Amino acid sequence: METFIQELVNSLSVASVIILMGIGVTLIFGLTGIINFAHGEFLMIGGIGVWVLVSNGMGYIPALLISVAFVAVLGFLLERGLFQFTLPHPNNGFMASMGLSIVLQHIVIRIWNSFQKSIPEPLPGAWQIGEIRFIKMRVIVVLITAVVVAITFLTISRSRYGLALRASLADRQTAALMGIPIGRYITAIFTYGSAIAGLGGALTIALFPITPFVGSEMIMLGFAVSLIAGLGNVAGVVGAGLILGLVQGLSGAYGTPEWTTAYTYGLLIVILIFRPQGLFGGTMGPAIE
Amino acid sequence: MAQWGRRLNKQSSAAAAVALTQPPVRKTRGGVHPSRELIIVTAVVVVAVLALPWMHPGYRLLSFAVTTCLTAIVLYGMAVPFGQAGIMSLGYAGLMGFGAYTAAILSRDLGMNMWQAMPFSALVAALFAGLFGLPSLRISGHHFAITTWVMCELLRITLVNGGKFTGAATGLDLPPTGKAFGLDMDKLANAYLLVAAFMLLSMLATYLIANSRYGRTLRSIRENEQLARSIGVNTDLHKLIAFMVSGVFAGIAGDLQAYSFRHISPDLYGGAVSMYFALMVMLGGPRTLFGPLTGALIVTFLPEVMRIDPIDSRIAYGVALIAVIMLLPGGIIAVTERGYQWLKGAARRARRGVSPPDVDSSPA
Amino acid sequence: MATVLEISGMRKQFGGVVALAGVDVTIKSDEILGIIGPNGSGKTTLFNAVCGVYRPDAGQVRWNGADITGKTAFEIGRLGIGRTFQQAMSFPSLSVRENVQIAIEHGSARRDAATQRWSTPEDLLGFVGLEGFADESASSMPFGNLRRLGVAVALGGRPSQLLLDEPAAGLNDAESAELVQLFRRVHQLGVGVCVIDHHVQMMAELCRHLIVLHFGNKIADGPTEAVVRDAKVIEVYLGAQS
Repeated sequence: METFIQELVNSLSVASVIILMGIGVTLIFGLTGIINFAHGEFLMIGGIGVWVLVSNGMGYIPALLISVAFVAVLGFLLERGLFQFTLPHPNNGFMASMGLSIVLQHIVIRIWNSFQKSIPEPLPGAWQIGEIRFIKMRVIVVLITAVVVAITFLTISRSRYGLALRASLADRQTAALMGIPIGRYITAIFTYGSAIAGLGGALTIALFPITPFVGSEMIMLGFAVSLIAGLGNVAGVVGAGLILGLVQGLSGAYGTPEWTTAYTYGLLIVILIFRPQGLFGGTMGPAIE
Repeated sequence: MAQWGRRLNKQSSAAAAVALTQPPVRKTRGGVHPSRELIIVTAVVVVAVLALPWMHPGYRLLSFAVTTCLTAIVLYGMAVPFGQAGIMSLGYAGLMGFGAYTAAILSRDLGMNMWQAMPFSALVAALFAGLFGLPSLRISGHHFAITTWVMCELLRITLVNGGKFTGAATGLDLPPTGKAFGLDMDKLANAYLLVAAFMLLSMLATYLIANSRYGRTLRSIRENEQLARSIGVNTDLHKLIAFMVSGVFAGIAGDLQAYSFRHISPDLYGGAVSMYFALMVMLGGPRTLFGPLTGALIVTFLPEVMRIDPIDSRIAYGVALIAVIMLLPGGIIAVTERGYQWLKGAARRARRGVSPPDVDSSPA
Repeated sequence: MATVLEISGMRKQFGGVVALAGVDVTIKSDEILGIIGPNGSGKTTLFNAVCGVYRPDAGQVRWNGADITGKTAFEIGRLGIGRTFQQAMSFPSLSVRENVQIAIEHGSARRDAATQRWSTPEDLLGFVGLEGFADESASSMPFGNLRRLGVAVALGGRPSQLLLDEPAAGLNDAESAELVQLFRRVHQLGVGVCVIDHHVQMMAELCRHLIVLHFGNKIADGPTEAVVRDAKVIEVYLGAQS
């Protein structure tokens, strides 16, 4: 029983990273309509950044902050330099982002290599409550994710500012005519979503080793939870991410991990075909004229 | 910069209306005749492709040439639903995998050889292509592309976990093909000639499809689906048929691949490979005669010939793809062709001393 | 051979908005019928519901006696009911010739139709007055020609009945007059013509029979001279115009 609870807690940390990816995807894809296949690479760069800095002597926390900031800047530049021009033709953005993910992955491989990278545990040890050991770092990951979710939820899903944001993005023509700076909102959301992915990567490397390909592994899970939950639905992403993360984590401990991914993919296909707006309701991405 | 991209698109549409949607033609009444330039270039390409073994390329280069041709076959298939009907699928590696594994399993369990297995490979791949394509009738471009990527990965995972039946992660082996057309297929050069012949056939097939009434119908679906329906086009059926046609190409390529290299494994058929297929076809240009071949050449063959580091070349592909999407619509061949037309026009202008060429008559 | 398109009790609702509240319209091919009404009166929705773009919530559509309610858009096209759209539609990056050629290749196979006379795209382009533009791409055409192209594409489908949705929208008086001539020529061939538009004068000239829709209801249906003088119609629509 104790083992089960322990596994449950461990899986929560897996779920957290998936949730962070999912939030980025759901906000960017759902609200701005930009489909960025390279979103996973933001996670990867966040993790690699931490690895580079920590390997060169920096503490974990400053490394995390700098990496996340770096990813945010990268996201900002990519939105301004690339994605803003594909807004009228989202399919072009999708295809271009496929190229982008290849570029980013292989630049990292070129500079370093394609092997696993890891850092020493930033916060070793565990808290003991009764019979259950809570590994400290995993708890931290869950807490940080919870904070991010709360911030996101409050600013974008619940606040008046967030409502205005979502309304403007849903009807850009009207908003533009009203003088609302849609372009800036889109840039802001893209940057925020990318930064969260970078944070996910920075947290991931504190838990497991990563390779330059970790992005491709995570992006599909990110798409899966956001599409299953419904684009733009942050609460839904949390729910779907929790379920998925728990199932992934537990099956890793108890059963067949490969099939979990398969089941997730299967569910995604079913949802996309029969209920494209997601289980909990969301947009299908902004309308394409 | 966005303006620039848009203007290029518009400028290209008039000049390219005839040139891009089908290969360059002389505009004549009552039919499409390939222009003289096209015939010459095609002849050169055919000769170059078939003459490769006599240029002493070496084993390594030759095997890359085989892969290039196999890939090109799949890409020519992709040109039908993607180039003509405008629907992108990221599932083609999976379809090739269906063809390859069908061939391998039929060989192991029923003793069939490459030729006997070929219709089955084509059929299985076509059926799954239709299945993969069904969602496209309901969901839009990018959602559909993701669905096909996911389906392709599902196939790969199933193959890895298929135990003895699929050979699991190690894959399956195939027996030698023996003789074909009097040539010993164990010699790589002969295998290459066979595959190259199929590649040229698929190039021809795609050309014929694009210039047929069926190709026109597919283009109408891409251009304005609602209008196509209003004049009686059964858009759903035609889309599905387009997918199934592309499946036939992929299935045959899979069969050929299995017998060319005598070993197949699941990682040849995953979502990442599909993405490279999409990259290649977009790079070369899905709607031009030589686009798919060029895309396959650039990504698969060129780095080997020029001995470029594989990592560097991948970075270059990604950048090239972004460049093509953002700046060079229609792919490299289309741009080359536009450049060539412009040069021709310039030469004509210089000879006659008249102003604007008829090709650029559209307003920006 | 004359055809009849009977629409009875047509109802269509979008969320809380009732676009059509039970409308009866009979479209016969032997007379040019006009449907007018203010914006939002349900005219385009009527065409869309008949042509399979929407499924009607209630009501029936009969084509020469046969029930075709709820058939898909391409089935309707095959039956010989052609239409044009409010926004000028074409296959933009294809040439004008190809636009029409595709329509001809998919056209309905009615043997006795006068429209069978067009066996090549050039014939049809000549009929609508676009011969010189065969090789131009559709997207490069000026708007007036684009409207004509839309009619040509619809004609290529060899329809027995044409439903034209605001075919003159965006055209000046001269261009509209040319279109009127074209529609008369089409009608003379034996193809039914039913037009939605706002240009009341054009409609009065072109159509002998007018139907007026208002907020999804039919408020007038009869010979043009009578409808134009109907008090209700004047109050609702023509009054606002003058």
